[in-house]
Amino acid sequence: MIPYLITIAILVIIAALIGLALNLQWGLAGLVNFGVVGFVAIGAYTTALTAPSIGWLPAMILAALIAAALSAGLALLSIRLEENYLAIITIGFGEAVRLVILNEGWLTNGALGIANIQRPFASLTEQFGGDIVFVIFAIGVLAVVFVALEGWTRAPFGRALRAIRDDATISAALGKPVFALRVRAFAIGGAVMGLAGALQAFYLTYIDPSQFSAIVTSYAFMAVIAGGRGSNVGLLVGAGSIMALLEGTRFLKDFISVIDGVQLSALRLGLIGVGIILQLILRPQGLVPEARRKAADVLAKPREAA
Amino acid sequence: MVAQLFLNGLVTGLLLALPALALTLVFGVLKFANFAVGAMLTLGAYAAWVANTQLGLSLPASAAVAATTVALTGILSDQLVFERLKNRDSISLLVASMGLSLVLENICRFFLGNASRSFDVPISRPMRWEGLRINQEQITTALTVCVCLVLVHLLLRHSPLGRAMRAVADNPSLAATRGVDRRLIARLTWALVGALIGLAGVLAGLDRSIDPQIGWNYQIPIFAAAILGGLGSPVGAVVGALVIGLAEEMSALIIPTNYRQIVSFTVILVLLLFRSNGLLSAKAVRK
Repeated sequence: MIPYLITIAILVIIAALIGLALNLQWGLAGLVNFGVVGFVAIGAYTTALTAPSIGWLPAMILAALIAAALSAGLALLSIRLEENYLAIITIGFGEAVRLVILNEGWLTNGALGIANIQRPFASLTEQFGGDIVFVIFAIGVLAVVFVALEGWTRAPFGRALRAIRDDATISAALGKPVFALRVRAFAIGGAVMGLAGALQAFYLTYIDPSQFSAIVTSYAFMAVIAGGRGSNVGLLVGAGSIMALLEGTRFLKDFISVIDGVQLSALRLGLIGVGIILQLILRPQGLVPEARRKAADVLAKPREAA
Repeated sequence: MVAQLFLNGLVTGLLLALPALALTLVFGVLKFANFAVGAMLTLGAYAAWVANTQLGLSLPASAAVAATTVALTGILSDQLVFERLKNRDSISLLVASMGLSLVLENICRFFLGNASRSFDVPISRPMRWEGLRINQEQITTALTVCVCLVLVHLLLRHSPLGRAMRAVADNPSLAATRGVDRRLIARLTWALVGALIGLAGVLAGLDRSIDPQIGWNYQIPIFAAAILGGLGSPVGAVVGALVIGLAEEMSALIIPTNYRQIVSFTVILVLLLFRSNGLLSAKAVRK
């Protein structure tokens, strides 16, 4: 049971990282990104390819930087587009990444994938056994990312992004550099997705293109919608509860013998779809709605003081 | 070689024309991009496959089953999902249609598995004409699509329903004051759009093997076609589909065929960079 819980914990952490990234891009800045999985894959492959020669920490940093650079590049080209167009461009980006990984075998080993990726603190792992060391490491990464993103959300940067999301014209009129802020939000989100990919590569110690399907993107959207767009705490709640539910359905197989593996995975994915739709219809603000300040909150203060 | 690719490109383009038209009609009348178009196409292909191989119907009858199934699915999703979200921002509709896409694709996967399937049709020898190979399926596709396009054109231009649809697309509140029932028009639009996508699913199933991803493979080309023509413009969608079909097939001359799928992505990206309104107008840039 304990190893199973640890597996779920790590999957939740990876999903939460991807969700946090999407929450910055979509929840906070209002930029839809259906190509999430592409950035995760880039992070994972960068880590797998470079970690043996430069070590795990530089490899993770490199993964984040490369994902951020590509994210910024894509944003520079397409971020001014209206959301329907941005959505299809990002889907296309995700597919392009998948094709490159599949077809450039000299670099990525194609469909076979890359095996034997060394985890960080491999010697400690042997000492304590199991995945305990890795869980602590993953929690550490999540904590750092969460604190950084939550800080940015509260900082003027986050407020400006929310203002742009709610009304770009007014924000531009008030002198906010709309384009630059959007590109920055997209790039930071990309970096976090790259980090999540790096964690995934380290955890599984093996990556191949089939791990990076559109499902990863759907999980992330479900987590953001469930938690509440724009709320980082909500995202952690959302990612945790979704993963718990989905992983719980794995046990169904033991009770219902008529369902085979393919049907089970189809059922899980279909349920994510149903979940996304129901959330949007019934509780669009999410489990932990974003804290919204009204003008009155700020304006009322001087009178109280007087 | 070039002539053969041109021919294949034209047929691929015609196949894309139906779902691209469907996408653009929904966008015009209901004001959102339906990301479930690929999954609906998959559903159409599977519905026809079940009718054809399990129930033993002929291919035209199976195509009718597919068109009806997807049309009903369209009406049902409008009733259950899109109508309830109509007052939200368009991004909610976008994400909801992505959720619907997951649901539809996995219903097919749940009941029929991941295996590749194909219709029960006799294998026919391709015709040869002036050194070109022309498959029976290509002729079927070209004829079906041309007939559909003429019918849709007549419907949009010369029928009360078409006029009402164009009126709602143009100015919903003005249409409402003139007594056009938006709900009814929305449902009829979904029925039409579903039938088009269902037929496209059957044609796609003739062209390649049917699996749960069949529609997803067309997703980006469909959007590329509709965007190229300017989202919301029916004529534009058809022209865009032909251009995308030709570009995809002709790309074999300069890039490895593995990367064929990147062609339509590149076309959209370049187009939106330099001419953000599509070939025939529509606004893509936001404030």
